[in-house]
Amino acid sequence: MFQGSLESFSSFFADTELRRQCNRTRRIGLMNGDVISNATSEASGINARVFRAGRCGFASSPETDISAVERILKQASDNAAFLADRLPDAGGNLAPRAPVTHRGIWVPDRVPQREILEFLQQIDDYIATRYPQLAARYVGCSCLSLEKELRTNDGVYSYSFMPRSNISVSLTAMTKEGTPVDRYEIFGGAGVYAENFSDPALLYPRIDAVVEELMQKRDGVFADAGRKTCIIAPELAGMLAHEAVGHTAEADFVISGSVAGPYRGKEVASSIVTLTDFANTYNGQTLPTPIYVDDEGVEAKDAVLIDHGILTGWMHNRSSADRYGDPRTGNALAFGFADEPLIRMRNTAILPGTDRLEDMIASIDDGYYFTATGNGQADATGEFMFGITMGYEIKNGKLGQAIRDTTVSGVAFDLLKTVDMISDQMVWLNAGMCGKKQPFPVGMGGPHIRCKINVGGK
Amino acid sequence: MNRVEQIARQCLEYMLAEGATDGACNASSGAKTEFYYESGELGLLRTVNNVSVSLKALVGTKKGTESLNSFSPEDLKRAAKEAVEAAKISKEDPAEGLPEEISVKRFEFGSLVPDRETMLLRLREFFDQLKAEYPSISVDTASIDHSASESVYCTTNGICLSVSKGLYSFSPMFMAREGEKTSSFNYYGAVFVAPDMPMLDLADGRRALEDSVRQVDPVPMEGKFTGEVIFTPGCFGSLLGSVEGNFLSDGVLIDGTSIWKDKLNAPVAAPCLRWSSRPRSEEIPGGYFMAGGYEAQNMELITDGVLKNFVLSRYGAKKTGRERSASAGGCYFVDGGDRSLQEMISTVKHGLLVARFSGGEPSGDGTMSGVAKNSFEIRDGKIVHAVSEAMISGNLAEMLKDITEISSERVNDGTSVLPWVKIKNIVISGQ
Repeated sequence: MFQGSLESFSSFFADTELRRQCNRTRRIGLMNGDVISNATSEASGINARVFRAGRCGFASSPETDISAVERILKQASDNAAFLADRLPDAGGNLAPRAPVTHRGIWVPDRVPQREILEFLQQIDDYIATRYPQLAARYVGCSCLSLEKELRTNDGVYSYSFMPRSNISVSLTAMTKEGTPVDRYEIFGGAGVYAENFSDPALLYPRIDAVVEELMQKRDGVFADAGRKTCIIAPELAGMLAHEAVGHTAEADFVISGSVAGPYRGKEVASSIVTLTDFANTYNGQTLPTPIYVDDEGVEAKDAVLIDHGILTGWMHNRSSADRYGDPRTGNALAFGFADEPLIRMRNTAILPGTDRLEDMIASIDDGYYFTATGNGQADATGEFMFGITMGYEIKNGKLGQAIRDTTVSGVAFDLLKTVDMISDQMVWLNAGMCGKKQPFPVGMGGPHIRCKINVGGK
Repeated sequence: MNRVEQIARQCLEYMLAEGATDGACNASSGAKTEFYYESGELGLLRTVNNVSVSLKALVGTKKGTESLNSFSPEDLKRAAKEAVEAAKISKEDPAEGLPEEISVKRFEFGSLVPDRETMLLRLREFFDQLKAEYPSISVDTASIDHSASESVYCTTNGICLSVSKGLYSFSPMFMAREGEKTSSFNYYGAVFVAPDMPMLDLADGRRALEDSVRQVDPVPMEGKFTGEVIFTPGCFGSLLGSVEGNFLSDGVLIDGTSIWKDKLNAPVAAPCLRWSSRPRSEEIPGGYFMAGGYEAQNMELITDGVLKNFVLSRYGAKKTGRERSASAGGCYFVDGGDRSLQEMISTVKHGLLVARFSGGEPSGDGTMSGVAKNSFEIRDGKIVHAVSEAMISGNLAEMLKDITEISSERVNDGTSVLPWVKIKNIVISGQ
């Protein structure tokens, strides 16, 4: 936890943010029993952002004493002046922030590295003993926490602590042709290590399920390329919400020409689709990336992007909200102490419907059920792709053979219009990192969705 | 001895005092200056001052690592203690150790001081030229930055390699717009020693912008066929990156899952392919001097279709009983062929010209599929139109064998020098 506080700091000269931050990580990895990584790291410092005549100066330093603070405030002011003196006025000053105070809770991460290593070794021993037929295994632990303290010239003070801890297992089997097939699964989520992991045996049933899926995949078939009616699992629904729709509704992309721009107020999805970027809470549950005050000092609000099929709004920073005359949503977030806040998502999800998964599977004669994804990308047109790392054929209303890795793609608003069934459960995932200029831990969620999607394959 | 080297040597002493039998330390101090354009404005000038220290402690053959961004003696002592403690609880691994080749060298490259006035001038010039020459282009983000660093790698067995480096880079992300129509995102990027030329003329910038203008109204791909695909230099470079990761690198060779593990000095690609990793080439400022504690050297990866080297670190080499590689990968060079891009297009019966592959990670056996972004359909030797929703599927290893032609033109983006490459037998599918 930080020593001292910025709360009483008052040496501001203009529209200014001052943020102190410390990111801590742990990374331990075992490959086939060998310790290939055993590391901890800490990156901390302070930054200032100063606005002048619509331009912005930013400076950061790893030192956080009072002289460093004064130095970066001056450097940020000089940077803003450098731009303002050479470029035309870019729209004057932004409206001030509403004063808000948020004091999050710091949770100590006291579990020794030795204890985590032993935990992983027990998991590795379990896999090696129980599944000697595997060609390779990797067991790893990754912990990340973002601790931030923010002070602005107009009375905002925020302290936040956002930890996540995950254990990942990657297993490889060889096909009868001698080629490798793998399956990767990640456990844990928001919270420090001790909040997520207590007994390795609790993970064994989930690891057994991963091995079973791997064996199904090893003996699986290649997907048939073409446009198919499919069911995508919550992991993919969350990816769809984030990659394919969410990015197009970030106001900076809208300003640049995102496909979503002209569609505000228009129908872009089936009427059963509602999609929201939640600030911190859903149905009373704290979400994987809870943001209460963003890194510009704006109180975070839910941003409803699609309401029953109608595109309703964007995610904003201060500047874009003022530009569109919209309420500020608090979507400006930075990853590290040396990073400036960008408009980005927090916890993005398609909301559940009323259908049952069994009925959804039974409704498909020839299609696929995709259950896991490895990565996803989308662009300004809404065209997206997801890597599929686990899935099954659906034949005559029943699950068939597992499939090997493939890719699915589509155009977001076209796909969302084909959604005709949404399951009644809601699953949140928090292992994802968004890669917009800087990395950032994000939450994604959703139910099962029936839709038409392009499938890559042979 | 400069301050960074003093810090590194101090850290080695701290680790030995804590009980390490050996140790290595990377320390660096640097600054980054960035002009950043987004949301329609050149709105940000950012200065990032930072330091970093990475410690590797060895207790026998047990390893622990710790990194931090502070030069304060208290923090360094704490980090050294934690690195040694991590090593003590780790597992013996005979492959661990320090580089055996004792070398003391210093490398200097570029200027450590950013020319802010010229950086701003070049960025403004870029937007003026865009407005005049490519009026339908809308820039999402663009940055020109200068990174300067003083770094050193020291070990307890006497190695000391230090690098002083200052480099510029430029990278815009853009699309074309006409009314409500929008092309896909496109981008290019380059690394350079001095901002002495227009940013539009770097790498294949003009071609990328011209392509985007022509991609504003793409035709959805229909049907499914097996055809030829010409990959742009940037896209082919990405595929080579996957080849390195999936078949040539530490992880897949240590765990034995690389499908090329027994292919050293055997044919793995078409005979026309010569692929090398040249971090020390004077043609690219974006190379590197150090590779895992050794002085980096250029090396051949594939010569005349034959695999000549893996990309193995010291640890990977010890684990697999193979030779450590001279380079740490990347910095790709592919020799040009004897036909022009236009001639290559003219011999395609039905296929695609693909500038960006947006796909899932290739699986261990090289199977891959994904969306062909920023692409054009080619029929009977002519580009007929831009396409959307086109998927391509293939196998990385097979694709290298199926290379049929390599262009005489190559693109140098400051980190690699690559041509256009034509590959047959790719499954292309649409709606």
